Amino acid sequence: MEIETVLTNKEVPENIRAKFEENVEEGDQLLFIIVGDLTLKSKYGVTSLAVTEKKFMVYDPTLEGELEIYNHSDVLEAKVKRMYGNARLNIIFKDGEGKAGEKKDVFRFTYSVATLCDMAALFIENISAGKKLEEEYDVVHATYEKMMNVCPKCGRTLVRQGAECINCQSKSKIAGKLIKYIKPETKVLVICLFLSIVTTAMALVPPYITGTLVDTVLPNKDRDSLMWIVAALFGTYILQFGIGAIRSYMLRISGDRIVASLRNDVYRKSQSLPMKFYDKTSTGSVINRISGDTATLQSFMLRISQEVVVQFFMLIGIVVIMFILNWRLTLLSLIPVPIVVVGAKIFGRKILPFYRKIWRRWAGVSSVLTDTIPCVKVIKSFAGENRTVEKFERYNDEWLKVDISAAKIATAFPQVVSFFVTCGSLLIWSVGGSWVLSGTGGLTTGLLVSFISYASMFYGPVNFFAYLNDSYQQALSAAEKVLDILDAEDEPDFNKGNCPPIKGKIEFRNVNFSFDRTKKVLSDVNLVFQPGEIVGIVGTTGSGKSTLINLFMRFYDNYEGEILVDDVNIRDIDLQYFRSQIGFVQQDPMMFSDTIYNNIAYGKPDAHVEEVIHAAEIANAHEFIARQPDAYDSMLGERGIGLSGGERQRVSIARAVLKNPSLLIFDEATAAVDSETEHLIQEAIERLISGRTTLMIAHRLSTLRKADRIIVVDKGEIIENGSPEELMAMKGKYYKLVQIQTMADQVKKSKEEENFE
Amino acid sequence: MARLYIDGDEARFTKKDICLVDMEFYDGRKIEDLEPRRLFPVSGLMKYISLLDLDGKEHAIIRNVDSLMPESKEVILQSLNEYYLIPKITAIVDCSEKYGILKWTVDTDRGRQSLRIRNRFSDIKVLYDGRILVRDSNDNRYEIPDYRKLDKKSLFFLNSEI
Repeated sequence: MEIETVLTNKEVPENIRAKFEENVEEGDQLLFIIVGDLTLKSKYGVTSLAVTEKKFMVYDPTLEGELEIYNHSDVLEAKVKRMYGNARLNIIFKDGEGKAGEKKDVFRFTYSVATLCDMAALFIENISAGKKLEEEYDVVHATYEKMMNVCPKCGRTLVRQGAECINCQSKSKIAGKLIKYIKPETKVLVICLFLSIVTTAMALVPPYITGTLVDTVLPNKDRDSLMWIVAALFGTYILQFGIGAIRSYMLRISGDRIVASLRNDVYRKSQSLPMKFYDKTSTGSVINRISGDTATLQSFMLRISQEVVVQFFMLIGIVVIMFILNWRLTLLSLIPVPIVVVGAKIFGRKILPFYRKIWRRWAGVSSVLTDTIPCVKVIKSFAGENRTVEKFERYNDEWLKVDISAAKIATAFPQVVSFFVTCGSLLIWSVGGSWVLSGTGGLTTGLLVSFISYASMFYGPVNFFAYLNDSYQQALSAAEKVLDILDAEDEPDFNKGNCPPIKGKIEFRNVNFSFDRTKKVLSDVNLVFQPGEIVGIVGTTGSGKSTLINLFMRFYDNYEGEILVDDVNIRDIDLQYFRSQIGFVQQDPMMFSDTIYNNIAYGKPDAHVEEVIHAAEIANAHEFIARQPDAYDSMLGERGIGLSGGERQRVSIARAVLKNPSLLIFDEATAAVDSETEHLIQEAIERLISGRTTLMIAHRLSTLRKADRIIVVDKGEIIENGSPEELMAMKGKYYKLVQIQTMADQVKKSKEEENFE
Repeated sequence: MARLYIDGDEARFTKKDICLVDMEFYDGRKIEDLEPRRLFPVSGLMKYISLLDLDGKEHAIIRNVDSLMPESKEVILQSLNEYYLIPKITAIVDCSEKYGILKWTVDTDRGRQSLRIRNRFSDIKVLYDGRILVRDSNDNRYEIPDYRKLDKKSLFFLNSEI
């Protein structure tokens, strides 16, 4: 086998590569090198594992001679032992090497290279066991390829090779994303802008007229002109504020539409995010982003699209008029401007961390709310009201503290600015006043009064631009979080429209999975289920049963290996179509705040009434529904308040029946009900599963009496797989579970009988 | 079955492997190849150490490592230190942010390391006792034992994240 390049995860330091190369003999070749970052003595440092066709070499500066070499053929077992924040490659040697059965830690690493080391261990073990080099190298190549699906700029893992990295888009692209929401409002916003310019122009008129009043009308005691001027000012004010009112109304409507559209998008996106997003982000923080941060962004977008333009025109207009009135006084009034601008910059830098802190504290408060309000029943039943209130108050106090410290900066800055602005007007009064008194500089009393009015107006836009940074920082902080959702990758679904008919053959091929790389939840799962087969999945809690189902449902897609349905990789099937073909009944079914009817019809909203009733009948739910005063129109609370656990379960089975799925999954559907209800549910399940491939996770083995096959999962591995009879004969784990449960059932039954009597 | 708690000197521990220990009671019973694991790796580093055999079955719990005999304590601590790699950040040497990803270069008790933090809101966790837990983009863990004791420069970098 000839390889083109030696695979590496990062650049191998020259001295290390040279050490490896000088130890590769003729007829052998380097295949891949893993550059690690942790020594065997648990200190950070560059280490490397190089694998050739015949041996592997470890470079570790803490080793004697820095290099150790092992032959693949000496290895009996190569395993990665995952610990907390680090892992080790463990080797057990074969007999006859003078170190028979000896166990040795040969390479230590952090999780940054854990996947590669898993692959290396498997490669070494398989080559030692005599498997074909070409085939094993293909696996190595594929693993490196997958590892290299990272953005070259920021190192972020991409959803697929060549995909655009959402983090590395330019700022203009980010702005482009937000402008998208303003675009539909362009017409209204342009009208508002025009109206703003009109009102701005009108606002510039009164000070000029005031000057004329002071200089001409009042000294000449011209009553007629006075009346005309007052009337003109009155007209100007009516127009200015009338137009202002219309503009505000239009802006409000436009703003509402922008925020509604943004919220819709963020909410829609939140529905298509993968489960791993919700594993790492609290629902409280997601709700906060949809409710609060979108509003912050909306107000900023309006500021940018409206106020910036208006204030800019205002600034230019005032400066031009002031220059025309008196250029020397204008220059004087500009003195405080640099102080204001520089101050704003410093202010922006100081306030951003506070906004982040405030957001962090507020997310904490929100998550207490979302955790505790829906669980109020649990809290009351454990008399935990006081504790909950204390916790909320603690989080709220934290928010208060940070907000108060932010308030210090946020309020001090405007006062400092106002002080400098006021000093600026004092400067104009003192210099301009002395010119009026001495009759120099061509300045009259009227002109000075006008000038002072314009100067005070001038600081309005200056202040606005000084504070723009503040709202920009707020918006940036909000945008960061909103775009975190908007830009997050959807559940991978690259084959929309590929909807092959599903007969029901299911295959797990070399499936490995870990939630966060710290612990493997599933290891090397290989299973094949035939169409129509009823498969029971048993195992102790935490053994990996539900994970198996979660992968099959495509809640997590980042597993190694393949899952196939009718020989088609499930990743190649349209995601929505695929899930629509599965009836999923969970242990604790969630009910929506809606009628029983709508809860059953959730998966098929256009179902005929009789279809829904029929589904309820099959699920043994119709009778108890009919007994409710409002029958199918009974409203259910957030978690189906008013229905017992067994009743909710039967409603959820009716949901699955109505969907008429090709595949069925039951995740401990009878775990939380009494024996009688279990019988009713069991009956419903048996009606539903006939002819459909069914996967049933069950703690109660009695639920699996109809199963054609049982698989036993233990610590993420399939340890037994066969018909119930075969497994009983094996007298393995399944046999033990049956024994234990039969005894438990007998005890339970006799207790139930005692109570009954 | 009652859980076996070890409170003091009723058992002696000897090192077996990098992470494994043997436990010997004074009545002569001996259990080999046990792996000490923290039941509270975040909130109680020295308390409630579970002792698991190679099949993951728990044989006993040490209530408090400090209550063990000095040699046994040393053996358990060595094993825990090998198993748990949570480098203690002593200083943040450099901090930059690009595309929402924080890049820190830190000095730790295990040497200097560069790490990337993908989500500043969920990957940096501030605890009430001043401790900060950090998770990098590779799911490696780090700890700042008390952020209030960091130098000014580190605090400056950390300021907006706490």
